[in-house]
Amino acid sequence: MNYLQLHKSPLFLKIIFIISVAVIFFIGGITFKHITVLKKSSNYVSNSHEVNTELERLISFIKDAETGQRGYILTRDKKFLEPYLKSKNLVKKSFNEVSKLTKNSRTQQANLKKLLFFINKRQNYLSKTLYLTEQKNYDEKQLVSNLLIGKQAMDSIRLKIEDMMIAQKNLLNNRQKEYESTMNYTPLLIYLTLIVTLILITIAFIKMNRDLIILKSTINTLSVAIEASKLAEIVGGFGSWQYNLETHEYTFSDNEYRLLGCEPQSFTASVEEFYKFVHPDDLQHVIDNANIIPTDSILPPFTYRIIRKDGEVRYFRALGRVVTVASGEKTHIGTTSDVTEEMYAQNFIEERNRELESNNKELTAFNYIASHDLQEPLRKIETFLSRLVSKDYDNLSKSGQQYVSSIQSSAKRMRVLIEDLLQFSRTNKAEKVFEEANLNSLLDNAKQELAQVIEEKNGIIESNTLPTLHVIPFQIQQLFINLISNSLKYSKQDVAPVIKINSTLISAQEDNFLPNNNNNAKYYKITIEDNGIGFEQEYAKKIFILFNRLHNKNEYAGTGIGLAICKKIVENHKGFIVANAELNEGATFTIYIPAE
Amino acid sequence: MTTDFINICLADDDEDDRLFFTDAFEELKINTKVSTFNDGVELMNYLNHEDSVLPNVLFLDLNMPKKNGVECLLEIKKNEKLNDIAIAIYSTSSSEEHIEETFINGANIYIKKPNDFDNLKKILSEVVTINWQYHTSGLNKDNFLMRM
Repeated sequence: MNYLQLHKSPLFLKIIFIISVAVIFFIGGITFKHITVLKKSSNYVSNSHEVNTELERLISFIKDAETGQRGYILTRDKKFLEPYLKSKNLVKKSFNEVSKLTKNSRTQQANLKKLLFFINKRQNYLSKTLYLTEQKNYDEKQLVSNLLIGKQAMDSIRLKIEDMMIAQKNLLNNRQKEYESTMNYTPLLIYLTLIVTLILITIAFIKMNRDLIILKSTINTLSVAIEASKLAEIVGGFGSWQYNLETHEYTFSDNEYRLLGCEPQSFTASVEEFYKFVHPDDLQHVIDNANIIPTDSILPPFTYRIIRKDGEVRYFRALGRVVTVASGEKTHIGTTSDVTEEMYAQNFIEERNRELESNNKELTAFNYIASHDLQEPLRKIETFLSRLVSKDYDNLSKSGQQYVSSIQSSAKRMRVLIEDLLQFSRTNKAEKVFEEANLNSLLDNAKQELAQVIEEKNGIIESNTLPTLHVIPFQIQQLFINLISNSLKYSKQDVAPVIKINSTLISAQEDNFLPNNNNNAKYYKITIEDNGIGFEQEYAKKIFILFNRLHNKNEYAGTGIGLAICKKIVENHKGFIVANAELNEGATFTIYIPAE
Repeated sequence: MTTDFINICLADDDEDDRLFFTDAFEELKINTKVSTFNDGVELMNYLNHEDSVLPNVLFLDLNMPKKNGVECLLEIKKNEKLNDIAIAIYSTSSSEEHIEETFINGANIYIKKPNDFDNLKKILSEVVTINWQYHTSGLNKDNFLMRM
């Protein structure tokens, strides 16, 4: 979870960084703009100042000219005429200067035009006055009117220059206002953007700090996990390796080296180095498997041999998988485990299994052939005996006849024994073909088979409806035959045998006898209950053992195989059989057969 | 067959069994002509001979040297001239495998050699007097094994 969060945060930090950079650019732009505005307005101020000064100078030059002229007229001293003569040039120069300074202002240019007109007018009248006074007989009146017009022109100049100064002042004021209006909001704007940037940077800092904490704890967890996996590798006897599919670099864990009998990290991890340890006979097998790596995402487990540094041959099993790590790189990770002991144990078990299997086969074959081939001479003995009895019985002495009947009963007993043994070995050997079978009809077949004995004993067999099950039909039929004939055989002398067969579906936990490891398992519980002589409960287990009998053969004929066959059949069906009895109180045989 | 006796053949390597077999037919007093062969090769030589009189019922032991009963059965069933002969398997074994194998390969009846001479007589008289046409048409695995 934390790990994932860490992988999302670079994007977040990038966004904050981009915003911060944009804000700084913005502030820089605004500042630059304002400095430009400031510079411009300071230019305006000095320009206005210069214009005023120049205008002052202009008027003073004109005044100088006037004063000089007056002085000359009064004194006729040429010295006074000097400023008047110079003033024309100075005024022109000064006027040009003003015109240059105010070239950007239309009003001032218009003013200047008018000013020029008045200046020219004034200068005209000045020279006119001078000219009039030069005449010997000048008209006093004309001079006075000339001087008057000159004075008027001079007043106009003064007015105009004053106008211009006011205009200049207005211009400056307007500019000042404009400047102030733009400058008023900018400090606030800059301040706000700075605060926003600060907040963003703080958030980024907090975020980075938190990521750092997560990173630290992740690193801690990782380093613990690495140690744990190192320990696990040592205890579990396995090593691990990584192969980076992008950089084609290998990494081996410490224990991988130890498995090879080397010091950890004592050589550079590479596939070539590793192949040096692989048993030459298995090398191709390993290479073939390793070649699957880039194409397949899973390297299936395979076993091979290696020769350790100390020369010992060990069995390794490798298993690998391609994983895509968070950074997107594909890495093939795998484990190698030392399975030598396992392999030896497995080989040993396999060997034993084979031995057991062949022993078992031999035994079954021996059992089958023995009982089968024993039948042949026995049959001859019996047939010859029957010939002897039917042809020459009367010629025999009394004891001879007795001997013959003894031989006959012994031969008969032997035949039963052989037949039972054969049946038992068949129960073991026969192909276990399971099919759906109706147990009711199997029971009917069994009853038919035993019809003669049942009739002889006046037996009654009661049964409720039995299920249809997935069984080996002839074996279940045999099971019924054996159990019913058993009940009939051990019936009480003076009581007709009554055999009750019942079936119920139960679950494993309902019955104490059944193993409780799978509570959901369902079983059919089939009971075969009789009213015969019964037996002591302590023999309940013994009766299922081959050749075990509770009675002398003179009392009850039998081979001690029948119930052993029953047990075998039930076991073939993964079921259980158990007997419950009391002496003289009848016996109950209970069969449990799993209902799938 | 226009003759008024039934032709019977037995292939069995056991001398005693051949003796019981012929004795039983002698005592049965059915009009039969019994020929016995010591093994499968001898039997097949006889059957394949042009002049031989083919049996009405052929009794085949399974376990015989040189050529066993199943091999004889296969050969007979492959031969168009012989495959009408009624074949009774006559063996000590009553194992499922043998019964299954011979049934599949076309034998008509399976007899487990009895332990009693009187039983033997009963079975043989039954087999010889079976209406084979009828028996074969209703043949199934349940009535294949002859029980007495």
